[in-house]
Amino acid sequence: MESRFIKPALGVYVALFVLFLYGPFVVLTIISFQQGPDGGPQFPIVEWSTYWYRQVFGLTPPSRIAPLPFGEALIRSLVLALMTMVVSTVLGVMSAQAFRRSFKGSTFVFYLIVLGMMVPGVLTGLGTSLLANNIIGIERHWYTTAFATHVAYTFPFAFLVMLAILNRFDSSVEEAAWSLGVDPWTTFRKVTFPLIFPGVLSAMLFAFTLSLDEFPRTLFASGRDQTLPLAIYGTFSVEIHPNIFAFGVLTTLFSFALLSVYGILMALSVRRAKKMAMQEDIA
Amino acid sequence: MSSTVTIQDRQSKVTRWLLVPGIVWMSLFLVVPIAMIVYVSFWTQTTFNISSDPTLASWKQFFSSDTYTGSLWTTIRIWLIVLATTFIVGYPTALFVGLFVKSKTLSTVLLVVCVIPFWTSFLIRVLAWRPMLGKEGAINIVLLKLGIIQQPIEVLLFTELSVIIGMTQIYCVFMVGPIAFMLSRIDRNIIEAARDLGAGFGRIFWKIIFPLSLPGVVVGAIFVSVMVLGEFATSGALSGRKVNLLGNIIVTQVGSLKWAMASVVGVVLTIVMGVVIAGLLRIVDLKREL
Repeated sequence: MESRFIKPALGVYVALFVLFLYGPFVVLTIISFQQGPDGGPQFPIVEWSTYWYRQVFGLTPPSRIAPLPFGEALIRSLVLALMTMVVSTVLGVMSAQAFRRSFKGSTFVFYLIVLGMMVPGVLTGLGTSLLANNIIGIERHWYTTAFATHVAYTFPFAFLVMLAILNRFDSSVEEAAWSLGVDPWTTFRKVTFPLIFPGVLSAMLFAFTLSLDEFPRTLFASGRDQTLPLAIYGTFSVEIHPNIFAFGVLTTLFSFALLSVYGILMALSVRRAKKMAMQEDIA
Repeated sequence: MSSTVTIQDRQSKVTRWLLVPGIVWMSLFLVVPIAMIVYVSFWTQTTFNISSDPTLASWKQFFSSDTYTGSLWTTIRIWLIVLATTFIVGYPTALFVGLFVKSKTLSTVLLVVCVIPFWTSFLIRVLAWRPMLGKEGAINIVLLKLGIIQQPIEVLLFTELSVIIGMTQIYCVFMVGPIAFMLSRIDRNIIEAARDLGAGFGRIFWKIIFPLSLPGVVVGAIFVSVMVLGEFATSGALSGRKVNLLGNIIVTQVGSLKWAMASVVGVVLTIVMGVVIAGLLRIVDLKREL
């Protein structure tokens, strides 16, 4: 049959596709081991070294090339991502919970929320800056205006994740709790929330990673103090050195670590749910 | 009877209070800012400031300058090209992952493999294309070693081509995901039945597989369009400031405190965006398909 030929051909194509996706990262990793401080961000590799990694951590003697000004920016970005994660997830869970009942104007509210992931960041950033500068008259900061735009961007993702989870949710357990006279808030805390917790974790992960790497919204809305993507953008205009590539490799490893934590939490919560189900069976 | 009414009353009250914070946040920090851009585009620009006296000056300036109208056409051209390249590059991968791979584990693994590059910072991913495409970059070195070319290709970096290559790599995964999802939902019995009736793969593809994957293509196209139309970092970093998209113009205008002009460009971008998304949603009725 024809498909006997098509499937291997597509398999080869997918291998090339993966190469295309990973090519730049492979090159970036190779060049991060360039000789320092004289080796530039290009081939050939003069001599393999870990100079640029040591430079990122400030372990090399001062040289012509200034260390990356990323320390404070990194902390700001992490704090901002945590703030965004908490607020977006809370808003996402609340709104998705409301959407379980049909109400008037639900289509309008749905599109209002989803609009947040549709509008280009450069526009929300610009609009928020204009508003802060000319109408409200406040200074722009990463923890005020930029934070507002970050939540307006990540909240729709949290909302959609929670909506998908709650759509498949079996509400008979809640009804059981209600019929036993448990008030709605306690029901949510003790019954609903533990059951939707894996979804909450995914929503949190989405919000955190999107905020951590968010650049166009922050560019205008964050004012004087830079977040990490802004600091990286700052190195664009001046000369590039392999230290930025070493930094890229390190942040990728950090993401891996973060995702492993997420995976472990997820596995634990699944295992706990199974254990609880088993206890119920025994009882 | 009266007790059920109060329960319903209370529940719709709960629904309202659950919705209020989200609606308020999105109105204040999304709808109002966009309205603000429209409003400021009619303000008067002085050298370093803006005042709220209404004027059409910035709009006239936009349409009388080749730099500005040119950036509009560049944006539309790059958007169409990247839409096409992400589709061409992504569709076969989605076909393999969504339809040809029988094992659920393998298709999940392949999708995870597609997502892993996103764990590197967006800006560093863009930057990584420089040592890839440069005159002494990886691609030229490999091609020279293989003897395919005698001279290094110089048009690879700091041209429109490098912007297109970079954007294709960064955004093609957003095509693969939705298409693979739609393909995986196709009922295999339909394909089996068509094959039993003697249809070849080409016919099955064009009559069954492709039409059923169309909603995925549209969702992917919306993702890619939203991101490419608002782009400025990739074009800035890989074109050597030769390719100016609407986003680049906004950034330079804000940089020189020309807020009114930045707003005009912002409104133009919003309109382009709205037309594109409305057009895409017309092709396929998403609510019915999903």
